[in-house]
Amino acid sequence: MRALVVEDDPDVGPDVSRALEASGFVVQLSTNGEEAWYLGDVEDYDVAVLDLGLPRLDGLSVLKKWRENNRNFPVLILSARGDWAEKVEGIEAGADDYLAKPFEMGELISRLRALIRRASGFRTALLNIGKIQIDTRRMTVSIDGTPHSLTQLEFRLLNYLAHHAGQPVSASELAEHLYGGEEPGDQNAIEQLVVRVRRKIGSHLIETRRGFGYLLRQDP
Amino acid sequence: MIGNSLRLRLLAGAAGAIFVALVIAWIVMIFLFQRHIETRVEQELQRYALQLVAGFEVNADGSIAIQQSPADPRFDTPASGLYWQITGEEGTWRSRSLWDQILAPPPSANTAQWQTRFFEGPLDERLFVLERLIQPSDAPTSFLVQLALNEAEIITARDEFGRSLAIFLSVLWIVLAGAAWIQVQLGLHPLGSLRKELAALRVNAAERLGGSYPSEVEPLTRAINDLANAREADLRRARQRAADLAHGMKTPLAALSAQSRLIRQNGSDAGAMADSLDKAIAAAGAAVEAELARSRAAANRHSRGKIRVSPAIVAKRLISVLEHTEMGMRLDYELALPEHLRIPVAEDDLTEILGPLLENAARYARRNVRVAGEATNGAVHLSVEDDGPGIDPRDVAEVMVRGKRLDQIGGGHGLGLAIARELIEATGGTIALSKSSLGGLSADILWKTTATT
Repeated sequence: MRALVVEDDPDVGPDVSRALEASGFVVQLSTNGEEAWYLGDVEDYDVAVLDLGLPRLDGLSVLKKWRENNRNFPVLILSARGDWAEKVEGIEAGADDYLAKPFEMGELISRLRALIRRASGFRTALLNIGKIQIDTRRMTVSIDGTPHSLTQLEFRLLNYLAHHAGQPVSASELAEHLYGGEEPGDQNAIEQLVVRVRRKIGSHLIETRRGFGYLLRQDP
Repeated sequence: MIGNSLRLRLLAGAAGAIFVALVIAWIVMIFLFQRHIETRVEQELQRYALQLVAGFEVNADGSIAIQQSPADPRFDTPASGLYWQITGEEGTWRSRSLWDQILAPPPSANTAQWQTRFFEGPLDERLFVLERLIQPSDAPTSFLVQLALNEAEIITARDEFGRSLAIFLSVLWIVLAGAAWIQVQLGLHPLGSLRKELAALRVNAAERLGGSYPSEVEPLTRAINDLANAREADLRRARQRAADLAHGMKTPLAALSAQSRLIRQNGSDAGAMADSLDKAIAAAGAAVEAELARSRAAANRHSRGKIRVSPAIVAKRLISVLEHTEMGMRLDYELALPEHLRIPVAEDDLTEILGPLLENAARYARRNVRVAGEATNGAVHLSVEDDGPGIDPRDVAEVMVRGKRLDQIGGGHGLGLAIARELIEATGGTIALSKSSLGGLSADILWKTTATT
């Protein structure tokens, strides 16, 4: 796994690099924004750790430039400021996760692994099911080219149904996928979730097969 | 400088206004006086005219014989300024005062009534003339009877009156300006007392303005007292926070010191020492983070009241952050926030308040997190609920104790709630914890809006 670490602090940067290498990553360390922008544009990384306060070009600008150029590898922002306004700004600029300093190295590594797992979980970046187009990296859904706003949970439900398009998926299986396990009451929660997704993208696109579960039509 | 002194400004304004009023009064009174003099002169000339008309007879040849002329000696003194003249077809008869001059006839004379006019007369005088055509019953033709007075007499009387009036009005202006000065002194007197009390307040922060002030000044003294209360509370909070931070740092510093001692003795397990160091660093970090969060809230406090931020927009943005985390992506978020709802705090403050509350909710929620809000009479309510295990009532009390130190509260619900509570209180709100209808914890926030609107 290739990781790009962008950190100008002479202690933290090498420390993170060492810890990642010890965990099996192949690490490239960059200490300024311009170099990081270039590296992210021309090299393929599985994940990037990006500090915000960087010389020459700040971290948020680097991230925005990567995303503008469709460089979609997962990015975890590291910053000294732990305020929520900056977290929101980072996520809206295209970051996938956020960790405030000081942090525990174990948490950083487990979050990076989770990001890589999530990113590689999608077989393709774009799924086309009839009129529905799902961008699994940007987590956006369009019907006939019109974008629809879905919450993360709604997106994950639709995405899972899309990966099993044409096959009924049971509520238990959906609960297992969405929540990591089924608990009493989850069937109702899944039903309500499906109702909300239907309301947003059109009720005819998801069918209910009694006794089997829910099915996303391949040719709606 | 007049511009900087309220007293001088009021005095200058009053003196100026009185001066203008008196000048206008002077002009109007002179005009009225002149009209009055002219009326009196007209009446006097009419009296002489009647004496003159009664005192002449028309002879058979059309000439007239003056039996009795008006008694005023000025008619007999040449160029005295008072004249009479009778003009008929057979000649002109005039007072001795006219000497060899004659009064010019009017452009038209009415027989029905006496009429007056001004005109440039003989002897280089401007005259006020009363004239009328008289048709005696025993005469075939009419006679023009004219009586004239030098206008200079009217002007002189008017000017003398004007001078006397000016002197009187000047004295009156001085008296009225003095009265205005007394009025200003009396009106501004409470401000002098206020200045003394403010000086005392500056020396001693516990002092308050307690004097009896006019109703116009009372809102100001109330506002100053409120400001002093707020400043004192700020000071108290700052001292408390400095103490909190100092205490918060003491424990981790003691732990670091203990670890340093153990390392020096070489008798400790390296892994255990690293764990202890991490704990101490985390505790110090939490104390610093909390203090930074409070400082941000304090920096934004001054603008409270002018701001109306939409909690729906802030909550949506925060949820988009949580949805990127492992714990947040498996949750269903319900937003029961009307689009028009506004909270009287800065957007950054609300972000830092809802952020930790939503993060806590996401951490402990099983499936659902709900953010609800409504505006009721004079207050705005917000609640963040989850369907997790909730919080032990004993811990609720622990977390909500004012001034409780963050290092004593520990992680989990406690840290986030404690930071949020500090920010809520700094922005004039209150927070209470209860059991949610979803089954978990409900953090209920309330801001009173009447005081800020």
